[in-house]
Amino acid sequence: MGARVIAESVTKSYGGGRGAAGVDALLGVSLALEPGSFTALLGPSGCGKSTLLNLLGALDRPTAGRVLVNGKDLATLSEDDRDAYRRKTAATVFQFFNLLPTMTALENVALPLLLEGVSPADADARAARGLLDVDLADKEHAYPYELSGGQMQRVAVARALANEPALLLADEPTGNLDSKTGEQVLALVAGLVKERGITVVMATHSAEAAAHASLILRLRDGRLEP
Amino acid sequence: MTGSSPGLRCGFCSLIGPLVLRPAAKDRLRFLLTVSGIAVGVATIAAIRLANASVLSSFSDTVDFVAGKAGITVLADGPGIPEAALERLAWLRRAGATLAPAITDTAAAGAADGEVVEVLGIDPLADAAAREYSFAPEANLFSVFDRDSILVTEAFAARHSLRAGSSFSLVTNSVERTFRVAAVLRPTGAARAASGSIVFMDLAVAQEAFGKVGRLDRIDVVLPPGLSGDDRARFEEEIRASLPPGTTAGRPERRTETVDRLVRAFRVNLSALGLIALLVGMYFVYNTLSISVLRRRTDIGTVRALGASKRSVFAVFLAEGLALGVLGSAAGTALGVALAKGALLLVGGTATEIYLPSAHPALHLDPFVLLLAFTVGVVSSVLSALAPALEAASVEPAATMRHGSVEAARRRRTRPLALVGSALLVLAFLATRPGPVNGLPLFGFVSVFLIVSGVSLLAPAAVMFAAARLDRPALRLFGVEARLARANLTGSLSRTSVAVAALTMALAMMVSVAVMVGSFRTTVATWVGQTLASDLFLSPASGRSGPSFGRIPDEAIDLVRAVPGVDEVDPSLAFSATRNGVPFTVGSRLFAFIAKHGNLPLVDGRDTRKVFTEALGKDEAMISEPFAEKFRVKVGELVELPTDHGPVKVRVAGIYTDYSNDRGTVTLDRSHFQRLWPLAGASTVAVTLKDGVSPEEGARRVAAALRGRFALRVRTNATLRRIVLKIFDRTFAVTYALEAVALAVAVLGVFNTLTALVLERRREIGLLRVLGTSAARVKRAIRYEAAAIGGLGAGLGALAGGAMSLVLVHVINRQSFGWTIAMHAPWGFLAAALGLVLLATLAAASRPAGLAAATDVAAALKEE
Repeated sequence: MGARVIAESVTKSYGGGRGAAGVDALLGVSLALEPGSFTALLGPSGCGKSTLLNLLGALDRPTAGRVLVNGKDLATLSEDDRDAYRRKTAATVFQFFNLLPTMTALENVALPLLLEGVSPADADARAARGLLDVDLADKEHAYPYELSGGQMQRVAVARALANEPALLLADEPTGNLDSKTGEQVLALVAGLVKERGITVVMATHSAEAAAHASLILRLRDGRLEP
Repeated sequence: MTGSSPGLRCGFCSLIGPLVLRPAAKDRLRFLLTVSGIAVGVATIAAIRLANASVLSSFSDTVDFVAGKAGITVLADGPGIPEAALERLAWLRRAGATLAPAITDTAAAGAADGEVVEVLGIDPLADAAAREYSFAPEANLFSVFDRDSILVTEAFAARHSLRAGSSFSLVTNSVERTFRVAAVLRPTGAARAASGSIVFMDLAVAQEAFGKVGRLDRIDVVLPPGLSGDDRARFEEEIRASLPPGTTAGRPERRTETVDRLVRAFRVNLSALGLIALLVGMYFVYNTLSISVLRRRTDIGTVRALGASKRSVFAVFLAEGLALGVLGSAAGTALGVALAKGALLLVGGTATEIYLPSAHPALHLDPFVLLLAFTVGVVSSVLSALAPALEAASVEPAATMRHGSVEAARRRRTRPLALVGSALLVLAFLATRPGPVNGLPLFGFVSVFLIVSGVSLLAPAAVMFAAARLDRPALRLFGVEARLARANLTGSLSRTSVAVAALTMALAMMVSVAVMVGSFRTTVATWVGQTLASDLFLSPASGRSGPSFGRIPDEAIDLVRAVPGVDEVDPSLAFSATRNGVPFTVGSRLFAFIAKHGNLPLVDGRDTRKVFTEALGKDEAMISEPFAEKFRVKVGELVELPTDHGPVKVRVAGIYTDYSNDRGTVTLDRSHFQRLWPLAGASTVAVTLKDGVSPEEGARRVAAALRGRFALRVRTNATLRRIVLKIFDRTFAVTYALEAVALAVAVLGVFNTLTALVLERRREIGLLRVLGTSAARVKRAIRYEAAAIGGLGAGLGALAGGAMSLVLVHVINRQSFGWTIAMHAPWGFLAAALGLVLLATLAAASRPAGLAAATDVAAALKEE
C-alpha cells in the first residue's frame, strides 16, 4: 500500500546570518499526493527538486512548514525513527546509483533487509528474487564496477524495493544513462510500482522522463508553478 | 613535449600545488601523523646510535688522554706486564725514545660505597715526557713521589672539597688507605681522562695498593720525533720482538677497537630493534601516498589529459614522499637528540655495567650520527614512495576507471604478493643456517627481516582469506555491521592490509622480544639457582659500581675462613687476556668445591661432579659456553693461555653454562692456576656455612670479623640472586621501551588508515544512512573493521613473532653472545599485551567512527 504524502507550505533556507544573504531552496511549497500515485517534479537544475526529495526522505528538516507522510510529521520523528522511516517507509534511487562498491549486487540488494533484521538466509533469498525482478539474476555476484550504468541503476531499484517501501523517491534516476537505457529503467520502475501500489516521487529535468508520471509538478526557483 | 628538463620542471611546478600541497593542507592530521611515524623511527635510531657513540667516545677520550704523546703502548695480555720487560725495552731509551711505565686500576673514593675513580700509578721521572700535566696552583710532578701522596683533578677536588694538603681515602683491593693530596691538576692532558674522575700516585705505591708488585699494566713509548711511517713500523716490530710472553704492543687506539668489539653485539641488537621501528614508519609513508594516489586518481587522469607527462606525475608523488621524509627525519633527529640522554642512561649504564665499569659516559652529539639517522629516514621515505609514485604515473589520461576497479586491480596482486611472501619465509629459514660473520649474527638479522617482510606481504591474502571464511559466521553473530566491516576491509584492501602489516610488524617485534627475554630470564634464573650454591658471596668493595673490581687479599680470606660458622670457602680469581685480539677471561675456582657441590652445570649434560673430579687430577681446564662458541673450541681440544714464561696449552675437559658474561672464560683449578700465574688473593669468595647458621647471621659474623680491616661486599645468596635478576631486567629495559614505541606507531597507523578511509567513504556512509542505517550502526561497523585489523594483526604478529623468537634465541643470541637459552614463552604477558593492543586498536577507531557517524548525509551524497 502506497503512502499518502502531504507538504504544507514547506520552506527550506540555507546559510544566511552575520549579514550574509542565505539561499531559499524552497519557498512555501504545498502538495498532496495520493497513495500509489506517480508524481514527477520537473524543473531545471537548482530549482529545489532534490531539496524537496531530501525533505520527503527525512534526510533534512524544513525551515518552515510541515511534511506529513501517512499523517506523521517527519520533523517530529526522533533520530531512531528517521532511520526506521528510511529503512521501511521511504526508499531512494539516485542519479549516480550509489551502490556500495565493496559489495556484490546481491549483497547490495540484501543490505536493507539485513538492516531491518531479516535473517541472512532470508535476506539472500529475497535479494535474489529482487534481482530476478529487474532481470539481473545472472549478475548476483558481480561488483558494481563490473556492471554497466543501466545494470547498476536496476540493482539500485531492486535495493530500494527490497523492504517493500510505501514511498519511492527517485532523484534524476536517468540523469546518468543514455536515453534508451533510461527509458528501460523508467518503464521497469513504473511497472513495479504500479504492481505494488507504491507512491513514487521522481525529480527530473527531462520532459520525456516526466511523461511516465501520472502527475507533473513544475518547480522554478523553489516554488511550485500553478 | 618529451619530458625534457624544462618540460619536467614546468610540469612539476604546476602539478605540485593541486596534487600535493593543497590536499595536504586540507588533510593536515593525516600529514602530521605520517610525519610522526617517520620521526619516531628516526628518533629511535638516532638516540641509540648517539648513546653508543657517546659511550665509546668517552672511553676513547680516556684512552687518548692517558696515552698522551705515546706512539706505541705495551699492554698486558694476561695478569700484568712483568717489570723485567722494562729491561728488555731499555734499547729504546738509547734510540731516543722515552718509556713511561704505569699502573691503571680502579678504586672507590672516600668510602667503600663512594664514587668510582680511575687510578694511574706513574713514574714521575718518565711520565712528564709521555703525558701532559698542568698544576693549580704551581707544583710539580715530583710531589707525587711521597708514599702517601696523590694528585687529584680540579673537578675531583671540587666534588670532594679537597685542596693541597687535604687527607683523602681510597679503597683499593678491599683495603681503605688514606692519602694526602699533594697537588691539584688543571683539566688538561691526562687530567681529562675519565671526565676528571682520576687520581695519580707513585708507581710503587700503586703496585702495592693494587697487589701488583713486580708488575705493570702498561708501558707507553714516546718515539723520537720526526720518524717516517716506515721507521715507526720498524720500531713497532722491534718492540714486539723484544717483549716477554704475555704482553702485546700496538697503537693506543686499538684499545678502543677492542672495547668496540665488546659492545658491538649489544649495539647491533639494539640498532636492529630501532630499524624495525623505522620500518613501521615506512609503512606509514607508503600507506599515506597510496591513499593519496587513489583519492586523486581522477585529478591525475585529468592533468594527464591536459598534457602532463608521466614523469612529472611520478616526480610530484616522489617529491611528496621526499617531503614527508625530510620533515619526519628532521623532527626525528631533533627528537632523537632529546631522547639520547635518556637512552644514554639506559644503554650507557647497561654497557658500562657489563663491559666498561670505569667508563663515565657523557652525551656527545656526533654530527655524523645525526646525519646518518636523518639520511636513513629520508631514504626510507623515498623508497616507500616509489611504488605509489609509479602507480600514479601509470594513470592514463582522463582516467575513467572506477574506484572499485582500481581496488580490484590492486586486489589481483594479492596472490603474487603471497607467493613472494612465502618465498621470503623459505629464505628466512635458509638464512638461519650460516654462522656468524666477523662475530656478528648478520644472517640471523637477515632472517628476522625476511620473516617480517614475508609475513607483511601475506597480509592481503590473510585479509581476503579471513573475510571469505568469516563473513557468514560474523554476519550471524554480529549482524549486518560485521558484513559492512568485511566489505570495507576487502574493498579497500590496499589500505587495510597495509595497516594490518604495520601492526603485524610491531606485534611480531613485541612477541619475539618478550619470548626471547622471557626465555633468557627463566634460563638465567634457573642457572642462578643451580650455580649459586653457597650461602654468602664476598667481593671487594667497589664504590657505586655494580660489578666489582679489585681483589680480596689472602689475609682477608684467611680471616673469613676462621669465622665461627663458616664451613667452606671457595675463592675465585680472574684476569683478562686476548686470543687473536679478542678479549676473554682466565679464571680459577676450587675444582674440589665444585666436585663436591656440583654447582656448575655442563652444556652436554654430563655429571658435573665426575667431570670436575677427573679434571682436577689431570690439570685440565673447563671453558664457558661463550668461549666455546666464540673461539670454536670443543671438549678434548687444547687451549693456549699466556704466561710469563710463554704460552701454555691446556686440554679442555668440559664446557659449562655461564650467563654472567659473554666474554668467555677458561677456568682452571686454583692450584694449577697459581702454578702458572703466582697471583695472590681472589676476585670473589663463595662461603658455605655450617648447618644451623642462617645466611643473615653468617653475613653479620663475617662483616664483623672484617670491619675496620678490609672493605668487602658481603651478600647472601638471596640478595645476590635478586641483584642478578635486577641487572638483567635493567639490561632489557631499553628493548621494552623500543617495543612500546613501535606498537604506539602501529596503532597510530590503524587510526591513520581508518580516518582516511572514513573521509574517503563519506558518500558511502551517507548512502548507508539513507538506507536507514543508524549512526550507532555506522560506528559499530567502523569498530568491527578496527577489531578485524587488530585481530588479524595480532594473529599474524603472534605467528611471525613466534618464528622470530626462535631465530632470536637459537641464532642471534647464540651467535652474538654464545649462550644456549631454553625457550619459555611468558603466556600471561603475551595474552595481556595482545589484548591491550586490540583494545588500543578499538580505541583508535573511536574518532574515525565518530566522524563517520557525524557525516552530513545530504552533503555527502551531493559529492561527486
